[in-house]
Amino acid sequence: MIPTYAANIAIAIRTSLMDRTNFILNSAGMVLNDIFFLILWYMFFVGFRQVGGWGLHDVARLLGIIMLVVAISGVFFGGYRDMAATILRGEIDALLTQPKSVLPRLLARESIATAWGDLVMGIWMLCTFAALSLYDLPFVLIGLVCGTVVYVASAVVYASLAFWFAGARSFARDLTDFMLLFSSYPGSIYAGMTKVVAYTLLPAGFIVLAPVAFLRGPSFSTLGVMVGAALCYAAFAALAFHLGLRRYRRGLVPTG
Amino acid sequence: MPSTMPRAEFRGTLSAAFSAFALGVRRNLANWPILMGRALFYLVAMAVLSALWDKVSAQRVAGTLASSLPHGGLTLYIGVTEWITLSVAAIHLRLEDDIRLGMLEPHLLRPKPYLLQKIAEAMGDSVARLLGIGTAALIALVLSGRTLPPPIAYFYVAILGPIGTAIGVLIYAAVGLAAFWVRRVLPPYIITQKIWFLLGGLFAPIGLYPAWFFGIAIVSPFAASIFMPGNMMIAPSATAFAADLAAQIAWLIALSALVALIWRAGLRKVLREGV
Repeated sequence: MIPTYAANIAIAIRTSLMDRTNFILNSAGMVLNDIFFLILWYMFFVGFRQVGGWGLHDVARLLGIIMLVVAISGVFFGGYRDMAATILRGEIDALLTQPKSVLPRLLARESIATAWGDLVMGIWMLCTFAALSLYDLPFVLIGLVCGTVVYVASAVVYASLAFWFAGARSFARDLTDFMLLFSSYPGSIYAGMTKVVAYTLLPAGFIVLAPVAFLRGPSFSTLGVMVGAALCYAAFAALAFHLGLRRYRRGLVPTG
Repeated sequence: MPSTMPRAEFRGTLSAAFSAFALGVRRNLANWPILMGRALFYLVAMAVLSALWDKVSAQRVAGTLASSLPHGGLTLYIGVTEWITLSVAAIHLRLEDDIRLGMLEPHLLRPKPYLLQKIAEAMGDSVARLLGIGTAALIALVLSGRTLPPPIAYFYVAILGPIGTAIGVLIYAAVGLAAFWVRRVLPPYIITQKIWFLLGGLFAPIGLYPAWFFGIAIVSPFAASIFMPGNMMIAPSATAFAADLAAQIAWLIALSALVALIWRAGLRKVLREGV
């Protein structure tokens, strides 16, 4: 399965790079977008110094990690973004007749050009503003892997709603946007209901907050939470997609 | 006779623009699930942003700008700026599609001006969003138990908010017309949007910026679009309202002229070189 996935995603990446001007404009646009985000937070911390114990370094870690999670997901699993639309348009019919699994084929359908801008900015932000050393690199990598798994898995769950609801296309995108929104703010602001949402429905807690906590103070308990969450969300995504696909095979899926 | 012809033509153009405006409103209201989705997005964004500012206000760290925050925090201000930002219709995408796909030609043969029709339709679209998201905002505000602003503040915001949204539509129209020169308007859109957030004071009033930066932001159309209406929630005053209204009208005229200029330049390019 892995060689097939690698071959598919390599084609998708090459396709996204083909139109050079478009690729450069999109990536540069995303870099500027991220720079403005950084300026906003920089100005915030110049004025207010900290929020609930989080300072500029912590937010830089958070932004660096979420940018890299979105970048890795966009470049290597870019099909997640329009998966609901793909399902509703009936485009997985052709994949059903092929011997390879459907979900990896869907994820490898597209590579998003703007994600390269996030990749550059995420690395730059972690290297310059996050006050990290080389010693922290393994912790960053573990956080990135776990965060990316939870992010892509959640996006797959949202997209799988298309197996049940015709209006799932925009709703799935909205949920992914909500998840990003929750992931872009310091964890210290969440309490009560917003904290419950941040660790369940829109799992920003597992995508960035737990990895940032892991960087602030590495511990086996945080590592266990991150790995456990990644496994649980991945399993749930696989189950939701599998159940949906069973409906699809029976012809019970709404068309969009 | 010759003098009545342009007047009749003008009346016809206005009537067509009004029809496009009404179409925008009705289409958006008919797509009520999407409108509800936008309202939900607004509420989620407000939950996060109010949590942030409530935390900052509650801490009141000495020696920081926290001491200059209004008593009730910035939730009401952010409520207005987000309301306007999320209500601005994505006219840039429609313009990009029409220009890139060569769909302008049939429109140019028609007697009604294409750009005015598109802008009027986007304005109608935005008004429906203002109504939908505004209703959700008011319900959430009442249910939140927060201290409500004086009634006059609602009046000021009800005037300045829609005009701020109209300024936003014109800004995005200018971005959409960039499709005459670039293949995708996403990069100029992203850049403009972020400048708007920064200079407009989407997340914090520009009064909290350093003086030199405030001086730049306040004379921009972005501040007229969202900061001025939002500020009425934390510091409502008749004098500021009058000044803000004048600034907004001036920006509406200036941006309309700018959009018309870009349109003419773009059209000349298309007629000369094609898409």
